[in-house]
Amino acid sequence: MSDDRVLLPVTQAQPGMVLSDELLDNHGQVLLAKGAVLSEAIIGSLQRHHIEMVPVARVEAHRAPDSAQVQARLDHLFRKHDLDADWAAGLLRRYVEDYRLERQVAP
Amino acid sequence: MKLTPEELIQGLDDLPSLPAVVMELLGSIDQEDADISVLARKVSSDQALTAKTLRLANSSAFGLVKSTTIQQAMTYLGFQATRNLILAAAMTGCFPSGRCPSFDDKAFWRLSIATAACARVLARHMHFNQDVAFTAGLLHGIGRLVLVSRYPEQYDAVLRERQRVDGNLVDVEQAMLGVDHLLAGAALAEHWQFSGTMQQAIAFYHAPDMPGAGFLATIVHVANAVAHALDLAGDVDEQVPAISSVAWTALGLSEEAWLQVFRETELQFEELTAILIA
Repeated sequence: MSDDRVLLPVTQAQPGMVLSDELLDNHGQVLLAKGAVLSEAIIGSLQRHHIEMVPVARVEAHRAPDSAQVQARLDHLFRKHDLDADWAAGLLRRYVEDYRLERQVAP
Repeated sequence: MKLTPEELIQGLDDLPSLPAVVMELLGSIDQEDADISVLARKVSSDQALTAKTLRLANSSAFGLVKSTTIQQAMTYLGFQATRNLILAAAMTGCFPSGRCPSFDDKAFWRLSIATAACARVLARHMHFNQDVAFTAGLLHGIGRLVLVSRYPEQYDAVLRERQRVDGNLVDVEQAMLGVDHLLAGAALAEHWQFSGTMQQAIAFYHAPDMPGAGFLATIVHVANAVAHALDLAGDVDEQVPAISSVAWTALGLSEEAWLQVFRETELQFEELTAILIA
């Protein structure tokens, strides 16, 4: 089990946590898929299935994206485009940039 | 070495073949009335394929209702969606890897899965058939697999030259082989009896403005560009291909909608790659 996941007693599981691996019951049947988000109901159901430990993804502190790094990579990805002439590519680039830098966009 | 389209097509019989049941699924891709229970039973006899399909069906991209059999998945997700998942599970394991050192098959499938996920999201916005869009996105680059499996040494030279000149793949293929992966993909799609729409999407995803290319080619064209722009293949030399402004405009999405498309594409991509090429 790598650093980005942690095995937690089900009693400490909280709604909103994300499963880092699929969860099997005693018969090897899949109870929950990897990536499933835990809810009160799901946690209750796990306890009823006598599941003691759940593997969940460790939540990293959110780091703001590095603007210079994002720009440099996008410049490289779009190196074959003349972004003034090729306006569809220009828009795509701008939107991906806004997305990567988590900018608010007007609805 | 220069190939003619005829030589290319003759070579298709030597390609690895799909399990018989998958060929049958391909043949029924446009049929709404295929016999579900018979197909479900046939697929279930292939354990590896069944396991992979069920993991896909149980992923959050497709549904949170748990299926434990193919028949159940067909009930919950519908026949068409399940058929496309079976196809996706079968295709990602069907071509041998490692015979062409310059071809990164992980990157190839990552890009294909990203394109499939994006095409599916775009199709929903366009009220187009999402399962067909997903499959077309997944298979759009299949001509590259034809070339790499059939002519590994020659294609290795193509890929090295492409990297050297940092050029457009289709141009380098045409210059060095005389054929390109669009032609190879269309030939395989015909050989495998894909629907006409699917064949056109594979043949024209680079040129969706061609008369008769069809709207599916437009969706795959833009989805492919987005997959490149989101940098999902994990290729350091990644470059975004040319984007048709006609195709872009045809989708008519606002920036807000595009950002939502990116988000959904990335979410589905992570989960699907873990299942399909883990």
